[in-house]
Amino acid sequence: MRRMVMAGAALALVAVPACGGGAGTTASTTGDDTLTLSIGNAHTGWDLASAALGDNIQYYEPVFDSLVRLDSKARPRPNLATSWSYDSARTVLTMKLRKDVRFTDGTALDATAVRKSLLHNREGTNEAAGKLRAIDSVAAVDPRTVAIHLSAPDPQLVVNLGDPSGMIASPKDLAAKGGPVGSGPYILDKGATTNGSTYAFTRNPDYWNRKAYPFDKIVIKNISDPTARLNALLGGQVDWARITPQTAQHAKSRGLAVQGHADSVEGLYIWDRTGRIVPALGKVKVRQALNYAFDRESIVKKLNLGYATATSQMATAGSTWYDTSLESNYAYDPAKARKLLAEAGYPDGFTVTMPDVSSVAPGQQVVMTQALEDIGIKVKVDKIPFTRLFTALQSGQYAMSWFKLQSGQPWDFIQSELAKGAAWNPAKDFDPKLNSMIDKAQKARGAAQTATFREINAYLQDHAFNAPWDVLDAVQGNSKKIKVTPRAFVSAVPIYDMAPAG
Amino acid sequence: MLTFLVRRVAAGLVLLYVLATTAFAMMSLTGTDAARNIAGNMATPAQIAAKEHELGLDRPWIAQYGQWLAHAVRGDFGTSWFGGDSVSESLVLKAPVSLSIVVGGLLLATVLSVVLGVAAAVRRGWLDRVVQATAIVGYAVPSFLMALMLSATLAVQLRWLPATGYVPLADSPSGWLQSITLPAVSLAIGAIAATAQQVRGSVIDVLRQDFVRTLRSRGMSERRVLFRHVLRNAAPPALTVLSLQFISLVGGAVVIEKVFGLPGVGSAAVTATVNGDTPLVMGVVVYLVLIVVAVNLLVDLAYGWLNPKVRVR
Repeated sequence: MRRMVMAGAALALVAVPACGGGAGTTASTTGDDTLTLSIGNAHTGWDLASAALGDNIQYYEPVFDSLVRLDSKARPRPNLATSWSYDSARTVLTMKLRKDVRFTDGTALDATAVRKSLLHNREGTNEAAGKLRAIDSVAAVDPRTVAIHLSAPDPQLVVNLGDPSGMIASPKDLAAKGGPVGSGPYILDKGATTNGSTYAFTRNPDYWNRKAYPFDKIVIKNISDPTARLNALLGGQVDWARITPQTAQHAKSRGLAVQGHADSVEGLYIWDRTGRIVPALGKVKVRQALNYAFDRESIVKKLNLGYATATSQMATAGSTWYDTSLESNYAYDPAKARKLLAEAGYPDGFTVTMPDVSSVAPGQQVVMTQALEDIGIKVKVDKIPFTRLFTALQSGQYAMSWFKLQSGQPWDFIQSELAKGAAWNPAKDFDPKLNSMIDKAQKARGAAQTATFREINAYLQDHAFNAPWDVLDAVQGNSKKIKVTPRAFVSAVPIYDMAPAG
Repeated sequence: MLTFLVRRVAAGLVLLYVLATTAFAMMSLTGTDAARNIAGNMATPAQIAAKEHELGLDRPWIAQYGQWLAHAVRGDFGTSWFGGDSVSESLVLKAPVSLSIVVGGLLLATVLSVVLGVAAAVRRGWLDRVVQATAIVGYAVPSFLMALMLSATLAVQLRWLPATGYVPLADSPSGWLQSITLPAVSLAIGAIAATAQQVRGSVIDVLRQDFVRTLRSRGMSERRVLFRHVLRNAAPPALTVLSLQFISLVGGAVVIEKVFGLPGVGSAAVTATVNGDTPLVMGVVVYLVLIVVAVNLLVDLAYGWLNPKVRVR
């Protein structure tokens, strides 16, 4: 028994300092000079050619500087490129580069380095590379000037150069085999980094714009589970994290700052607009009927707990192609929906097979199915694993489904959902009128271009390309020791938009 | 004893082969579009096909498995398809996290279940009833729910311990202990409940046996009877339960690591399976089977030590 008592005493001795020191340690893991973020997405490696966008931007930003910097409204501002201009055909973008910038391996950042990096970034298959597809070649005109030659005008290119697509890595290790080498505000601290879970960054003493980054140290923790992420935030272990609308109120009540900003348009996406799988969907009146089927205000309030904005158009409020007047169309009216179906020759509705999205959007699945059944459309739910959903949608396996896409930048949206080769356009180029509008927008500039984008937006609504419900917010929580300014049209907040409070 | 050991190791290797083959077949048959997940949303069908070819996914699964096996027997588990890290190095980094909470949970379960089980068996009465009632509750509450409750109260509300994250032992022993305490306790509670019940039953059984009465009649002290003779005879059934509990702790760790945001083998297994990262999934399978086989071997050896008759089986 004595031995047992001694073992117990030993355990207690070990445990006491652990508990005693707990409060202090957990609260102070993030000192004022350290910014600790939690990201749900896994890091996909340091090679910019394989960079994903969205929340993943935060992984790259400390190490790599980008050609332009986007302000809170996603407008491009000078950064590594101090100025830029297009030729009259808008197929050559010439950029002047900042002087005296060096990568952390000592190599000078010049036009040749930018040329190599951009061409390398373009070669990947992930999201960052996808934004550079218009680039045909890049020429180093002189050490301070690059000319980016495009196969066709890309109205979005300069803005995209503010994301990992336009980040510049050292030409000595473009694939980042030895870890990331950039000219960004911080350097990866390999000793304090555990691949796949924690990434620590210390200041790059030679960075040219130190004041834009007030924190001495950045720590990024990859926590995939939303509950664990929220707990890390509530427990004071991280300063910023993406949270869910369902936990936002709890986070607020615990003294955290909670913000939501427009992120992606969710709703019923109609993939089969030619009626190949479900002939009814080839008729405009049927697709319009679908738009009358949803009680958008109720979805915003009850399903998304107010962290969304009801909409019946594909453009996000605040973006250049958004049109307030379009919001009066398609008010919730199931009777009108049934009438339109009857006029289109489907008085008894039709049957449609839709993929199971209950693992990511259970409430949406219920609401959607109910709303469709209310107007006479029978839904068969196909139990496809979520990991196979994207491929199935892109290959045109399903006629329609719940989905969400970002649409803050019109050209990006066109490239991802409407253009002939767009990843989310399984119906391909079925609408010559739309194609000609897209061509017109691509070649236009300034106000004329904006006007054409708006025409496209109105056309999408009128022809009921989809049945959008709302613009979902990216919801985020942060400790009150930091001040956060969200950037429009991206789910994560760039690190340069975070600063110590007060 | 050597034959016994060789036979057990051989059985373990057969188990490893069968499970690895099954896991590989399941990964291939369920299909998770790994090539597409790696290539990204913007990849064209041609780029996805090229990635499939690069990964060898366009070949029959048996050919893919043959290649994996040929490398695995040489200790080469390849690189993760996502992130490109070496699977072996990745497991070396993640294993201490999982082992810390599983072994921590097991130690806690062993100590507390023996203390509670023996106390309940010897004292009986109200103590026995309390232990039994607590055990039923402890067994009924799933470990993930226990983890959520402990995290919400002790970590988030009171901030006594960290809610997420892992501190390596080498960096800070006290930080390490803090980071593994809640996960280990969450894991251990079910095991304590099950094992304490078993210890209690076994001790009561042995206490009723004739040799105990004989030892007592010879004037041996109650403490000596209990610790020298009763516990040794009551240990094998408890050991069986404990070894089964270990396997369930390993399984439970997968969820617990997610709840506490721990970068262990369990959370890697979940992510890798969802992504379809076959090399990493296979590495995790081999690692987990080896651990379970090793623990069973140790339990068998302990049996042999406690009861020499077992060795000749």
